[in-house]
Amino acid sequence: MPYELERIIIEVISAIVCFILVKFMINPFKLTGETKYLGLPLGFLFLGLSYAFSAFSFSSYFNFIKLGWIQLFVRGFAFFFLAATYYFSRTEKNPKRLQNTILGILLIIFVILILLVTVISPQFSFAAYRFWFICVHAFSMVCICFIIIHALKNHLGESDPATLAIPLGFIILFIGQYSALIWIVDASVLAFFAGLTFRLTGLIIFLYVSFKSYYDSNLGETD
Amino acid sequence: MKTLRRDRLKIYGDILSAIYFEAGSNKIVMTKIQVRVNLPYDRLILFIKELVDLGFVQDETSLRLTGKGKQYLREYRKTLNFLKRMGLSYNK
Repeated sequence: MPYELERIIIEVISAIVCFILVKFMINPFKLTGETKYLGLPLGFLFLGLSYAFSAFSFSSYFNFIKLGWIQLFVRGFAFFFLAATYYFSRTEKNPKRLQNTILGILLIIFVILILLVTVISPQFSFAAYRFWFICVHAFSMVCICFIIIHALKNHLGESDPATLAIPLGFIILFIGQYSALIWIVDASVLAFFAGLTFRLTGLIIFLYVSFKSYYDSNLGETD
Repeated sequence: MKTLRRDRLKIYGDILSAIYFEAGSNKIVMTKIQVRVNLPYDRLILFIKELVDLGFVQDETSLRLTGKGKQYLREYRKTLNFLKRMGLSYNK
């Protein structure tokens, strides 16, 4: 596969950024104890894992056919968890059903991954992988669109310029997903690098917002 | 926009913030806290007792934040700010 090294480097950086983000994203759940915020750390954890799997799959030491499938589905679930968080964030009560649903979904993911690695993946061709790549990316784009709409609505309600960064980050992530889709369909090198660059830019925006929120000197001064 | 019912955590945060803002004055007046947090007097007293039991407020008469209370307030504000920036709503 062309541009292996470049891809591995960007995938590794993306994975590291996602794992750092998990540290910040878990704080709302830890403080409030509300299950509806659990999707944030789970989403970024799965996203980080998918980039890590992706980096491994492109290296010559691992089997792309096996790890390629894992990263594809893990990424789909990552965006699902993020979208679910935004959907449930407006609910008044802490729904017990949500907790069970999340646990159920995690179990399903685990079973699917085990099946993919052990039984299904060796039988699938690259054409099948391409088809599922398109499906998962289209699903991810729908999830990101939902998040963008939700975050923009919130921004309009807040009328604070600081709340614009996150919808912007998700818009850039959306463009990254779209570019990746163009790349798999058209094999365009420009789309390939655009996809990786946009994705990394989006993640760096999230990281900036997280640092700004927790290390802003104007906040938390109670002494 | 629909206003969500405040949960206990949000009420604790609001009361601690109000006490923090009023800490500058010579004496913290309960009525001022009540106006800031928008709670009936009897419920406010109950919540303040809970905060004293939790170790967030020194006692019910002086109404001064303890170190633990200040730490909680810091974390609470940061998390609220983070959720706001993330475009997520926490009970307003």
